[in-house]
Amino acid sequence: MRLRIRFSKLGKVRFVGHRDVARIMERALRRCGIPVTYSEGFSPRLRMSFGLALPTCYESEAEYLDVPLNPDLVQDQTVFCTGWGQGEAHNPTELQDALNKALPNGFDVVALTIEPKSKGSLQEAVLSCGWSFDIVGAQTDGVQNAIETALNSSVIEVDRKKKNEIVREDIRHGIHELRLDGESERGPLVVAELSAKPRVIRPSELVDVLAPGAELGVAKRTHQWIETDGQRIEPLTPSNSITT
Amino acid sequence: MRARGGIIRLQMTSLWPRLEPVLPRVEKPARYIGCEDGANANIYKPDATSWLLTYPDTYEIGLPNQGLQILYELLNERPDAFAERSYAPWTDMEAQMRAADVPLFSVDTHRPANEFDIIAFNLSAELVYTNVLNCIDLAGVPVRASERRDADPLVGAGGHCAYNPEPLADFVDFFVMGDGEEVIADITEEVQEWRQSGKPKGSREAILHALALIPGVYVPAMYDVTYDNQHLLAVTPRHNDIPANISKRTIADLADWPYPRNQLVPLTEVVHDRLNVEIFRGCTRGCRFCQAGMITRPVRERPASQVREMISAGLERTGYDEVSLTSLSTADFSGIEDVVADTIDDPGTCGRVSVSLPSLRVDAFTVGVAAQVSKARRTGLTFAPEAGSWRMRQIINKLITEEDLYEAVRAAYSQGWHRVKLYFLTGLPSEMDDDTLAIADLAENCVQIGLEYTKKASVTVSLGGFVPKPHTPFQWFGQNQPEELRRKVDLLRNRLRKNKRVHLKWHSPEASTAEGITSRGDRRVGSVIEHVWREGGTFQEWSEHFNLELWKEAMDASGLDIDWYVHRHRDEGEVLPWDHIHAGLHKDFLWQDWQDALGGYGIEDCRWTPCYDCGACTEYGIEHVVASPAPPNGGSQGTGQDLATGHLVPVQLRPRAGVGGSQ
Repeated sequence: MRLRIRFSKLGKVRFVGHRDVARIMERALRRCGIPVTYSEGFSPRLRMSFGLALPTCYESEAEYLDVPLNPDLVQDQTVFCTGWGQGEAHNPTELQDALNKALPNGFDVVALTIEPKSKGSLQEAVLSCGWSFDIVGAQTDGVQNAIETALNSSVIEVDRKKKNEIVREDIRHGIHELRLDGESERGPLVVAELSAKPRVIRPSELVDVLAPGAELGVAKRTHQWIETDGQRIEPLTPSNSITT
Repeated sequence: MRARGGIIRLQMTSLWPRLEPVLPRVEKPARYIGCEDGANANIYKPDATSWLLTYPDTYEIGLPNQGLQILYELLNERPDAFAERSYAPWTDMEAQMRAADVPLFSVDTHRPANEFDIIAFNLSAELVYTNVLNCIDLAGVPVRASERRDADPLVGAGGHCAYNPEPLADFVDFFVMGDGEEVIADITEEVQEWRQSGKPKGSREAILHALALIPGVYVPAMYDVTYDNQHLLAVTPRHNDIPANISKRTIADLADWPYPRNQLVPLTEVVHDRLNVEIFRGCTRGCRFCQAGMITRPVRERPASQVREMISAGLERTGYDEVSLTSLSTADFSGIEDVVADTIDDPGTCGRVSVSLPSLRVDAFTVGVAAQVSKARRTGLTFAPEAGSWRMRQIINKLITEEDLYEAVRAAYSQGWHRVKLYFLTGLPSEMDDDTLAIADLAENCVQIGLEYTKKASVTVSLGGFVPKPHTPFQWFGQNQPEELRRKVDLLRNRLRKNKRVHLKWHSPEASTAEGITSRGDRRVGSVIEHVWREGGTFQEWSEHFNLELWKEAMDASGLDIDWYVHRHRDEGEVLPWDHIHAGLHKDFLWQDWQDALGGYGIEDCRWTPCYDCGACTEYGIEHVVASPAPPNGGSQGTGQDLATGHLVPVQLRPRAGVGGSQ
């Protein structure tokens, strides 16, 4: 069995990098006494795996973490905590509350399930991501026009650094959704769904297309989409309202 | 060149809206956001004295600093004070801040530094001094104390380097000597009155005068310095009521100060990223090169029960899986084995918590301790023989035998370690090439012992160039030239080149020269520090930014001679720049110990043997607080020998008036 956790990362903590997020999660899991498992070897590491890595400086309402549990300490929907929370049994709601108390401000567990381990990693299963981002230094009308032009194009070429060379790459097929969603205090706000396969397309690349010379403001991942039995779904949907 | 006061004063409560857009452009932006577990985001008290506790190096280096965290908590517990923290922005961030006119800020609430009443620096190393100036300038405050206006923040400094305050005397309004726990209350009360008065015109002189009357506080502006050509003549008070000497503050019992209670847990990786519990303060092993061991006397152990509580509560609160038991010589703690065992066996830790023991003396590291530590994840082990030959170790009074080291190393390898780190100094008084090369012998012998247990056995030798420090018996010694240090490093490199199991790392000899200038400098060195800073010489502790040429230029520009400041032996009668600062130690005790060093005489550890009156206790009416009357592993110098029968001790201990048991 494992825990699958969906969490948000909002506000100042958007500047925390992916590896640091892993360490923050490790400490929170330990504080709650959740019966995690460890790798073998000279320097055992707590086992856990994330969904798609989130670039530093991006916010998210849809981060995922899978944590394998010690099978001896899980029964149906009950986890027997060890360590500081020794002997206490917890259902998913209680675990979610406990983790939220243990996590720094800005990180919130928005959904948590106890479920059987599945094959394949979440990271590989994610097909596309939903994004919301604003653009600094651009006119809303201009962005609106650029979106329409982009959607009417069959090819959208961007520059991409590959090792020592810069290659032109078409990203049109990776843009599933693209629309203006009004304005933030920083500038025009854009909503998009961008493919994660064969490679992840980032909002920063779209800024270069929609408003060359302008800068990405704050980008927020809103969804990670996977496919199960031909259905496009989210691995978990929020079980409570996200605090922003 | 930097423009003085180039930052516009801002009247904003939070700079965050202006910082946020620049953070995506800098490396490791998480170090500027705060948000640590244990930090106070809502601590603003409009009527209280505000302290900005500033560490003049990067966040990663500064955040774990225990002294800063202790003061942070203590101040925030007071109704009449609050504290926030700041760290030196890395060069890319500084460029962004200067371009956008964003001043130095607190990471807690991102308020500008110049809105605080006090900007207080922790001085852990001399090479950060240019960063101190840079931080003051980034705060929008004139770097020279004499140019500050009444309402500008007071600039304070404390920490080990404050024991020679003179090089920074032109830039710092007040220094604090010794333990900060109590003196911050006295300072807060004075400053509180000043701020309640509205800091009127002319009041800065009055608050500085008032601070100078607080025991343990040194206000350089209240003292005149006189010279006889090159030589310092005296540092004398300007007013009748200002004390001629400033004595350090010392807390009598660590048990009264179980801090930090809420160690800060950063969101991004820092050095010493683990729970740190201070188990004792002070050290009386008497290593003659060690400033910390001289100025922090006497030994004050925390009760073992309190150590256990702090570990247990700390691990539960933070979620760390590693705890470090900190002190100047951790294995000397009474009953260290039990504390380590209890930590590892605590049911709360699920056997997943590892214990790291910094500053291990080899004579106190036993198989028992090694076995306990190795139960969980093995942390790195560093031993500090400090010198390669027995002759050299007698001179520095690090009285451990080769066999002591081999036993400790054997304990480590036999309990599963593959690598140990050995720390040495080179450029010590009277060091000959044989002494230097003996380092290689020790390292190679350690590898041989390791190979009895593991095919992977290796040893890392870390070599530092010796910089004489104020308030130590070696304060009179002329530091080696960088060329000489380089030659000694090369001796070892050549000797160890073929041995793939010994990894040699060394500290830059050129950086040791700059450290030497600032370590024993007088007030005239202030202009050198300012020159280096104005030429862009920040982060001098970082090899990629260190530049000795800048320091040479600056010394020339100030008409000062590096040889005279760094490489010259001092004689007994010389007035030293820090003579007016008292760490308790009598100057004649230090001089005698220097003579004893050159004569090859040792000195005992007085926590387990009769007092020899160095002054640290007797001056202040305090005593050691040590739970065990017996030294660990026998012998007050750990050689496993009974000092009462002196002939067995492989060193001649200096007979002293009033000292028993050392003949």
